[in-house]
Amino acid sequence: MKKMTLIILLLAFGVWAKAQKNEGEVTFKRTTSWTKMNDQMTFLSKQQKEKNAYMFGNIDISTQTYTLFFSPKGSKYEEKEENTNGYSWRKEQFVIYRDFENETLTDVIDFLGKTYIVEDSLERPQWKILNDIKDVAGHICMKAQIKDPIKNQVIVAWFAQDIKAKAGPERLWGLPGLILELDINNGACVISASKIEFKKLTTELDFPKKLKGSKIKEVRYQQMIEKHVKDKFKEEVNPFWSIRY
Amino acid sequence: MNKSLVLLIALFFTCTNLFAQNPTRVTIRGVVQDTSATTLTGATVMLLQPKDSSLVNFARANDKGTFEFRNVKNATYLLKISYVGFLPYQQKIKEFPNDVNDLGPIKIKPIAKELLEVVVKTAKAPLSIKGDTVEYNAASFKVPPGSSVEDLLRRLPGIEVDASGNIKAQGKDVKRVLVDGKTFFGDDPKAATKNLGAETISKVQVYNGKSDQALLTGADDGKKEKTINLELKDEFKKGAFGKITAAVGTSDRGVLRGNYNRFNKKEQFSVLGYANNINETGVNWSDYGEFKGNNSFNSNDNGDFGFGNGNRFYYMEGDYLNNFDGKGFTNNFGTGVNYNYTHQKTKFSSSYFYNQTKLNLDQYQNTKTFLQNSNFSTLDTNHTVSFRNSHSVAARLEQMLDSSNTIIAKTNLRFSGSNSSVNQVQQYLNNSEDVQNRINMNNGSNLNAYNFNFTAIYRHKFKKKGRTFAASSTLSTSSTDGTDNIRSLTRFFNATNVNDQIRAISQLNQNANTTTMIKAGVNYLEPLSKKVYWESFYNFNNSGQNVGRDAFNGNLESQRYDSLSTYYQNQITYNRVGSGLRFSNDGINLSFGLAVLQYDLDGKVYPQKGKPLTANISKQYQALTPNFSANIEFKNNAYMGFNYTLNVEAPSITDLQPVVQNNNPFYITSGNQDLLPAKNHELSFDISKFDPATFASIGIWSSYRYYLSQIVYSQTVDANLVTRTRPENMSGGKNFNVGMYSSFPIIKTKWTMNLSGNINTSNTPTIVNTVVNQTNNKNYTINAGFSITPSEKLIMSIEGNLGFNNISYTIENNQNQNIRTKGLSTSVKWNFAKKTFFETSFDYNSYRNDRFGFDQEIPILNASVRRLFMKENRMEVRLAAFDIFNKRQSIVQTGYLNTVSNQQALTLARYFMLSLTYNLKGHSDKLKKNGGFF
Repeated sequence: MKKMTLIILLLAFGVWAKAQKNEGEVTFKRTTSWTKMNDQMTFLSKQQKEKNAYMFGNIDISTQTYTLFFSPKGSKYEEKEENTNGYSWRKEQFVIYRDFENETLTDVIDFLGKTYIVEDSLERPQWKILNDIKDVAGHICMKAQIKDPIKNQVIVAWFAQDIKAKAGPERLWGLPGLILELDINNGACVISASKIEFKKLTTELDFPKKLKGSKIKEVRYQQMIEKHVKDKFKEEVNPFWSIRY
Repeated sequence: MNKSLVLLIALFFTCTNLFAQNPTRVTIRGVVQDTSATTLTGATVMLLQPKDSSLVNFARANDKGTFEFRNVKNATYLLKISYVGFLPYQQKIKEFPNDVNDLGPIKIKPIAKELLEVVVKTAKAPLSIKGDTVEYNAASFKVPPGSSVEDLLRRLPGIEVDASGNIKAQGKDVKRVLVDGKTFFGDDPKAATKNLGAETISKVQVYNGKSDQALLTGADDGKKEKTINLELKDEFKKGAFGKITAAVGTSDRGVLRGNYNRFNKKEQFSVLGYANNINETGVNWSDYGEFKGNNSFNSNDNGDFGFGNGNRFYYMEGDYLNNFDGKGFTNNFGTGVNYNYTHQKTKFSSSYFYNQTKLNLDQYQNTKTFLQNSNFSTLDTNHTVSFRNSHSVAARLEQMLDSSNTIIAKTNLRFSGSNSSVNQVQQYLNNSEDVQNRINMNNGSNLNAYNFNFTAIYRHKFKKKGRTFAASSTLSTSSTDGTDNIRSLTRFFNATNVNDQIRAISQLNQNANTTTMIKAGVNYLEPLSKKVYWESFYNFNNSGQNVGRDAFNGNLESQRYDSLSTYYQNQITYNRVGSGLRFSNDGINLSFGLAVLQYDLDGKVYPQKGKPLTANISKQYQALTPNFSANIEFKNNAYMGFNYTLNVEAPSITDLQPVVQNNNPFYITSGNQDLLPAKNHELSFDISKFDPATFASIGIWSSYRYYLSQIVYSQTVDANLVTRTRPENMSGGKNFNVGMYSSFPIIKTKWTMNLSGNINTSNTPTIVNTVVNQTNNKNYTINAGFSITPSEKLIMSIEGNLGFNNISYTIENNQNQNIRTKGLSTSVKWNFAKKTFFETSFDYNSYRNDRFGFDQEIPILNASVRRLFMKENRMEVRLAAFDIFNKRQSIVQTGYLNTVSNQQALTLARYFMLSLTYNLKGHSDKLKKNGGFF
């Protein structure tokens, strides 16, 4: 009898756990390797790239922490305050709201010294589904891939087969499972889940009372990026020193 | 009537035709099951474009395993099903003829449990599935160095290797082992697995059935052959680079310079060498960076803890850099090796470097010294020949013990030697410019020294976020051994007595000094809240010095001059405890702290080593030093910083030594045992703004220092113009600095303007013949320039600068000095033909001081042409002309304390040089816009 109760309890727990698996909070570590980024800087000679990797290869990595709140309704992605050595750098505004019910996006982004609010309808990214599987943070993920022609990036995403959510880190979403890892240009930037917590969200996805910044459309935002990348390539300067990779 | 009938028939025909075609929208459904027909609830079902696997739509199987796509475009799709623990299933579905299509049960196969558990879960390696082929990253499975592929296979899940080397994969014999898809030394699968090293393999693929033939033709021949394919590592991470330059020039100028670097993923090895007589006393930044490799930049790990220790930065040490000061002619030679090892949590580097420089210097200096209502001039002509060399060995180890503990250990050993001979004539002219004295000096010195330094630092991060502890200790010893040979002949033209007209000195000094220092520190950071931290530190430093000097008669070495000899022992102990609070949140960092410090000085003076003590000086100083700092990062890339601190510095050992230095009989220095530490208030403020869109920047910085007590050298000048100086404490004296810089584009990507300016005012008290003199120094400089890049092939720059320096002395107020400098520099780099470059620079500088009647203009023009040759532009031939007008010399004008001086020295002027550089990786055939860093 006792065994039976236990099994029932376990089953009930299992059902409960399953029901909860489409809502919660993910912590992501975002690591950027500046010398790997050099591979796409066509203005650098092979020797300069090698020299940079040779000299800066072990101190070129910077790490940031991000939080993603997700539910079937929407998601919010923002930087987490990581103040571990008693010195705090100013956080760049990068708060990404996704509303899957009304299919809209609202992103608060600092871009070249100005804060913009990108507001537009959601357009599903053109993902390609590949055939590899990998474990990320205890979940078996499938591989998908997308190209960003403006930033000249190949982005690999690993999405969990068992978390029913369309959300993902950065500005990406739209896979049949929660995206737990992104790899931009062969490891130049890796955003990987370090902790996943399934819980009922309350007010996490709500907008703050006031959003400050000038409102623009997605197309305009992409145009601004394109212009900046072009200009900086002309000046032979890495454009991603001054904008987000 | 007819017409409408035709139309009707046509319409009908089109309609039937339409109906005969497939529907435009369809519903697709099916059931997902495993091989034993159990339904798989929650399986992901995707519809992909067959041409590029683009995701079109997705659905999930419900609790009966059923999935359904409603009203999707009728097209050819790739149906893909994924489920945790199962191989991704893929099936091509063609356009449907019906509206609703049931695909029925679809069975998907589980992934071998061991692959899932071991490869995916434990080794965290990605598993690549291509049809029936499973591929995994061999690098995720650790084998000891030197292992063969066989050893590696033994570790791979699902693969068994028996004692004689036969391989089984998933229970079946492996018939073929391929390397990069090709057979390796015949068909024996063991040939590859026994002979290849595990470290050469990046991926292992296991073919589950179809033979190569079947995969190639698509026609299944029914053979089920187990095949393993070994993919070799991409060798990108391994390589070598280097270059060698040889150059010959007019007036026997020559250069030989080279470096060679080899590296792989873990190791970096480099050698470097140079020899020249063109005044390059070391290597340049770029070559130095290549030499040190990934050890070029290290965090500020000197183990000195204090306020604001949380903000660590990276910096580059510059031990062997070219540091030529622009004076004289040098012959230089240097060579070194460097080795770095970086793997996972270990970072080790070591280097050896030898360098030597021989200097030949001819220098002329005119100094005016102001006394109360009078002054005198010193004309100094000096010829120096010196040689110095050093051997230096350094090693550094950084080991992360685990995620919360790190140790850093570094050590440095240096042996150095020098010898020099100085031939000097000094003339002393009184107020009315009459020569009063003349001294001919012939001094030689010989010095051998060694330095040893060892530092260990331990850092610990506690489980509680933000709580850290660090401890450091340093041991450092040094010893110098030297002799000075002093010979001088002085004529006193004013002397009436014959005996006083000439004085000769011949003296031999033997110096032996040793220093031992022990240093330790601890630092603790405790987060009181998310934004407030409490920081505490303790520093300890004990340094002991033994100074021995025996002065002898240079002509009769047994005769010791007791008055000029000494033996001195000095112990300085420094203790500091400090504590403070830090507030840090979203770019705002404020800190306030207080430290208590104590110096214990203990000096013992003996007439000679081994003789009884003549004097014992024991002193103790305490001070309370506050510190305040604010660093604020505003929105829009604006930054502001403010810092206040009270600096307390103990007197230097040389200033405390009660030893008379008479190397120059007209400038005799001695120490002062009663010195107190120097103390000053220091304030600094800076503000800056940067626009990332245009890269325009502007900044203002300022600093102010007020001395509560400073160590100044009081002077007593006698009738014979012999100056005796002695360090003394004085209050007063200040220094104020303010400057700005700005850089902004005039035409984006083509024209940039740079502006900067700086004002420095200082007030320095000094005692001259018991009267206090205040020297007020005002220095203004302004710089303006443009950099212009009209095209990819032309880079130009032009810059001008102006400098004004006004110096006034309270004891001689009609002697105010006005020093003027002007400068203009331009440069052009022009890629005027394919692989051919012309580079030129012109610098014009003018120096003026009306009171000295000094007005000197120096125009320097350099020009060179270079061309790249050979495959990958490996060879560069360059013809260069340096200082075409043959005008180069060194001019330095300074005002210091109660003096003003102007110094001129000869140096390398016009020469022409032809150089060849061979670069293993080739030269860039473009002009570099930004110096090549990133």
